[in-house]
Amino acid sequence: MSIDIWGLGLQAVNVLILIWLLSRVFWRPVAAAIVARQQASTAMLDKAQAAQTAAEAEMSKAKAARDGIAAERLKALAAAQTEAAAATKAALSTAVTKAEAMQAAAAAEIAKDRADASKADAEQAAQLALQIAAKLLSRLNGPLVQSAFLDLLVQAIAKLPEAERAAIAATPEGLEIVVAAGVVADQKAIKAAVHKALAAKPALHFVTDPALLAGVELRSPHFALHNSWRADLALIEQAVHDAA
Amino acid sequence: MITPLHSTLYFSLGPVPITQAILTTWAIMLLLVVTALLLRWQLRLRPAKPQAAIELIVDMLDTQIRETTGAEPAPYRSFIGSLFVFILTANWVSLLPGVEPPTAKLETDAALAAIVFVSVIWFGIRGAGVAGYLRSFAAPNIAMIPLNLLESVTRVFSMFVRLFGNVMSGVFVIGIVASLAGLLVPIPLMALDLLTGLVQAYIFAVLAMVFIAATVEDGQPKPAPPPQKKEN
Repeated sequence: MSIDIWGLGLQAVNVLILIWLLSRVFWRPVAAAIVARQQASTAMLDKAQAAQTAAEAEMSKAKAARDGIAAERLKALAAAQTEAAAATKAALSTAVTKAEAMQAAAAAEIAKDRADASKADAEQAAQLALQIAAKLLSRLNGPLVQSAFLDLLVQAIAKLPEAERAAIAATPEGLEIVVAAGVVADQKAIKAAVHKALAAKPALHFVTDPALLAGVELRSPHFALHNSWRADLALIEQAVHDAA
Repeated sequence: MITPLHSTLYFSLGPVPITQAILTTWAIMLLLVVTALLLRWQLRLRPAKPQAAIELIVDMLDTQIRETTGAEPAPYRSFIGSLFVFILTANWVSLLPGVEPPTAKLETDAALAAIVFVSVIWFGIRGAGVAGYLRSFAAPNIAMIPLNLLESVTRVFSMFVRLFGNVMSGVFVIGIVASLAGLLVPIPLMALDLLTGLVQAYIFAVLAMVFIAATVEDGQPKPAPPPQKKEN
């Protein structure tokens, strides 16, 4: 058994070359790959940690914002409730005021209606009374009443101013003597009394008007001297109407 | 009869005889380098299964070096790992018919032992300096220098003899059994030879690592002892 020195040396060189080659093409690249992965893993973990931290910060921010929104909501609700209460109070006050005004207006309307109704009733009662009086007075159309009305006419003419009497007497168309229907017997007496009261003798025309009920009236185109039950009733009606 | 100790000479390059062991070594080198290149080209940040397995092996090697030397594995990884891979591959090529493992030859094992011897010196000087390396022979005291000098030679010699003896004996036994009992009978012995090859590669690499670590550690300056209290 012997050792070949050349073979020993060549094998040593071979192994050294193999160690060098494997160091270059295997061990270092694999170790570098491991280190690169570890660095990548560390970087990813750091990135994930940073992302988690950022996410937690965002979550805290979102939570704060949500709390703020909730507080703002509560504040808005409180403000809305206050505003609603104020609006309700104002609306209630306005409604009360309106209701009171409407009540007052209604009361005034009722009072006015009552007053109108009372006035209408009074007028109606006055009309009825006048109608009754007219019916009653229509029966008082005798010669005596006619004579009394003639006297009253004469007195009324006498109370007129002199100039007016003269103007009436100078009416060229003449004067109308209006009497109630059915009273024509004393035309001469009436003419005489009128001529005497006027102190002149204008033309007198007798006209019959049943609406007078009773009485004697003197009329011209520009003048009328009322002297009848109808005129009296009209005066009463006007007085009642004015009193109402 | 051709004994296992006999080296088949194929041709010579000048004074250098090219034997079957050398050719097999070159073939192993080519295989390992090509395989390493293929694996290197497949390295990705997101590893596939082969890359994950390779990285697991490298990580185990780093852990072994770190636990043995107590230092970072980067300076020793290539040397120890390449020794282990080469010896393991060389031991296992005996499974191929007609191929003898290079580690069954004296020259290969002696070359490996010589490389370990030189590497101990190299790593010792690099790790502790020349003075530190020389100081490592005086551990634990100066009286041990002759023994340590002798040990530095004998321990690598023992590695050489151990590896050669185990591998050569396996080949020898398998050859004898195959010549006597037929083709299939040596299979259990070949399986046993696989285990033997793995164990021997592991032992050789671990011993090389231990020798390097011991030299670097012994070469480090010892810390001053703590002051002792004087007894009254």
